[in-house]
Amino acid sequence: MTTADIYAIMPLIILTAGCVLCLLAGSLRPGFYLYPAALAVVGAALLWCVCVPAESVMPGMTVNRFSRASSAFFYATGLVALLMAYGYNRRRGIEGEEYPATLLFALLGMGVTCSASNLLMLFLGLEAFTFAFYILVTIERDSILGGESGLKYLLNGTLSAAVMGMGMALLYAGSGTLKLAELTTVAGIPEPLLQAGIGMILIGLAFKLSLVPAHLWTPDVYQGAPAPVTALLSTASKGAAVVALLLLFPLLQTWQGGHDLLWLLALLSMLTGNLAALLQPGIKRMLAWSSIGQMGYVALAFVAFPAGGDRAALLYVVAYAAAGLAAFGAVSILSDTSERDDIDSYRGLGYRNPLAGAVLALAMFSLAGIPPTAGFMAKFAVFAAALRAGEITLALAGIASALVAVFFYLRIVVVLYMKKPAELSEVRALTVAEILALGIPGATLVLLGVYPQPLLDLLKAILA
Amino acid sequence: MIVPFEHILVLAGLLFFLGMGGLLAWRANLIMMLVCIEVMLNAVMLVFVAGSARWGNPDGQLFAIFIMALTSAEVSLALAMVVYLHRKKRTVNTDMFSEMKG
Repeated sequence: MTTADIYAIMPLIILTAGCVLCLLAGSLRPGFYLYPAALAVVGAALLWCVCVPAESVMPGMTVNRFSRASSAFFYATGLVALLMAYGYNRRRGIEGEEYPATLLFALLGMGVTCSASNLLMLFLGLEAFTFAFYILVTIERDSILGGESGLKYLLNGTLSAAVMGMGMALLYAGSGTLKLAELTTVAGIPEPLLQAGIGMILIGLAFKLSLVPAHLWTPDVYQGAPAPVTALLSTASKGAAVVALLLLFPLLQTWQGGHDLLWLLALLSMLTGNLAALLQPGIKRMLAWSSIGQMGYVALAFVAFPAGGDRAALLYVVAYAAAGLAAFGAVSILSDTSERDDIDSYRGLGYRNPLAGAVLALAMFSLAGIPPTAGFMAKFAVFAAALRAGEITLALAGIASALVAVFFYLRIVVVLYMKKPAELSEVRALTVAEILALGIPGATLVLLGVYPQPLLDLLKAILA
Repeated sequence: MIVPFEHILVLAGLLFFLGMGGLLAWRANLIMMLVCIEVMLNAVMLVFVAGSARWGNPDGQLFAIFIMALTSAEVSLALAMVVYLHRKKRTVNTDMFSEMKG
């Protein structure tokens, strides 16, 4: 291993060391000082990713512009989630060093996923961050919902890991190589092995993206997990799964059935997610079902892959991540000692807590795809790619379901601003960490909606 | 190889779907669900080792070893959760864990 290699994987080394040191320091002297320390570690990894243009090709891992940009995105998401968790965990009594350490480990897994160049590293990366989420979901020990949702996530997650592992095993058995680049070119993989392998990998990834019919865990986990964990789970982990799908896509394209399967997943997710979200009384379950619908649009972008769907998918992920962080951030800041879940309990909060209310409303506008927010640009890019690729049926289904979705997103805005508040309790002043946790995603939402060109140029450059 | 490659694939397929069927059918007991997942992962390892022997390179065996590490971590976490939930509800029956619906 040369110095250049070490420079290239330095963010991963920083995260690993930070994670281990965080655990050690916590066992000696537990306390909330570990959160700023973890923030510093994530910040260092992020800075290195952005500022040091070290690239290298190693066995199993390739650090290039694509992996650097996507890991920078994950680290930034993790940074915001940590800022959110700092105050929230204090109020809710989630103590201990496990939280920051596990979060660092999750980011490490995502960093490995997006620089993987063979199936083994990809599988390990994906499982590493899923693993961290099993722990993070259950981290609130006093909550019975947390334990239940963690168990549901774990059982579903291991099932999907087994299915995805089987897919990789079949591809390996058919081709004799684990390298992604060789797998697409190698000829003579027996047809049944290739088809079963690709299908199973796709189903495993569909679980991570919570596409229908592998979505059953999503509402329960989103509801039971603490809000800052849900924020990270619904944004960075989905983003990492999308990156994995992008890395695997040249392989998936070797079989036409992969396209058809994705078509079906996209259609079912868009319809089921958006229709079920209409019926939810709780905001976290509503956001969970809506995220299933949103991931349907990402799958739609992948169906339209030849017509620039890859760029649309990444743009959609960034816009969705900003909106998800803003929405769950507002939920976690508006919840005090108990989770504020019932949508009715948000009545009039837009006036009583102006910043959190405004950011929540902005996130809802973005998720609904109303200009001038990032969500509009992203939806526009996805539908334009779908129409260019000739997927008329799917694009029409997507547009129709997006129109239905506007209703339940705007319901939140109506409740926030047009109803009288039910209670008149003391309003807590926001801390600096909370203002940052709301401000960063909120500003991103507006900025991307008004001036998306720099991001589009960046996506064009990294996907070239 | 003495055992034909196809035979191993058939055996692994049987194990895999036995595990999956068990997981879907045996919903009543958490421990049995974990056992079924183990059976599925064992089938995956079998295919990797068979592929490794077929092509004469060690990648598949390496993957199998990593899967072993993964499963042991997974099971330790799952059992911790089972113990924790058992303390709360005095049961390992999954039907009892249904606070959330919809």
